[in-house]
Amino acid sequence: MGNESISVIRIHDVLLVTMPADPDDATVAALQERTLEAMDQNDVRGLVLDLSKVEILDSYFARTVAETAQMVGLMGGETIIAGMSPAVAITATELGVTLGKTRTALTIDRALDMIGKQGNGTRPRRER
Amino acid sequence: MNVEDQGEVKIKQEADIAMARRAIRDLATKLGFGVTETARIVTAASELSRNVFKYAGAGVMQWRALTNGENKGVELRFEDQGPGIADVNEAVREGYSTGGGLGMGLPGAKRLMDEMEIDSGIGKGTRVTVRKWRRR
Ligand SMILES: Nc1ncnc2c1ncn2[C@@H]1O[C@H](COP(=O)(O)OP(=O)(O)OP(=O)(O)O)[C@@H](O)[C@H]1O
Ligand SMILES: [Mg+2]
Repeated sequence: MGNESISVIRIHDVLLVTMPADPDDATVAALQERTLEAMDQNDVRGLVLDLSKVEILDSYFARTVAETAQMVGLMGGETIIAGMSPAVAITATELGVTLGKTRTALTIDRALDMIGKQGNGTRPRRER
Repeated sequence: MNVEDQGEVKIKQEADIAMARRAIRDLATKLGFGVTETARIVTAASELSRNVFKYAGAGVMQWRALTNGENKGVELRFEDQGPGIADVNEAVREGYSTGGGLGMGLPGAKRLMDEMEIDSGIGKGTRVTVRKWRRR
């Protein structure tokens, strides 16, 4: 299960968290811990959660993602979910899962652009 | 209806849920299901094997590759000797959960698959069978 790990890298003042294709429950649970720790240790505006490799989003995984975004919000950061494949989006919708009010982007690049900007994509959320 | 191939994955620990998903992904891909169809089948397998682990502690997922004339399909059967479900009609209702969940596993799996049958009762364990046919 060498490909099962979560990668967390920092790009300027954003964390890029990448999930593997088919994480087991322990890996999904680690998402929350690793993300919140990394938020705590780095002075960043928020994180982009890269789901582009993910092949399946079941109810447990979706719940963990939504919860993590909520926790990051409580810490004062922003979460943008990026790169969900069409198959995963269709399947998750049919299953009935939602990601709460979490913002989403088609690609990682777009997500990185959005971080720190309001919904309309023009105004910085706060000055640095 | 003919059975072309079959196998099983024992569900005894949390990591077996991911094992079940992998087995079903390989199977669905081999049978020629497309990416989205495969995602549907794998997601249903994940929900149903998690129920086995969560409510019964252990059980088994049996899979079968089916043909019905020109049609190819897959059948998954999840069986456990757990506490059973008192009211099956209630359990497939959206939002019904005794486990502090959102109650989307059973109704969701039903939507994702073509057919679903549940055989369960208090004290006699639970058997959930789902099927999906390949569209051409
Ligand atoms: N294998 C099983 N053995 C005993 N009870 C079960 C089993 N599978 C489901 N149930 C019962 O049916 C209910 C509904 O299951 P369902 O998967 O739809 O929702 P959930 O597991 O409670 O929540 P979620 O799947 O959204 O996390 C469960 O709360 C449980 O009471
Ligand atoms: Mg469930």
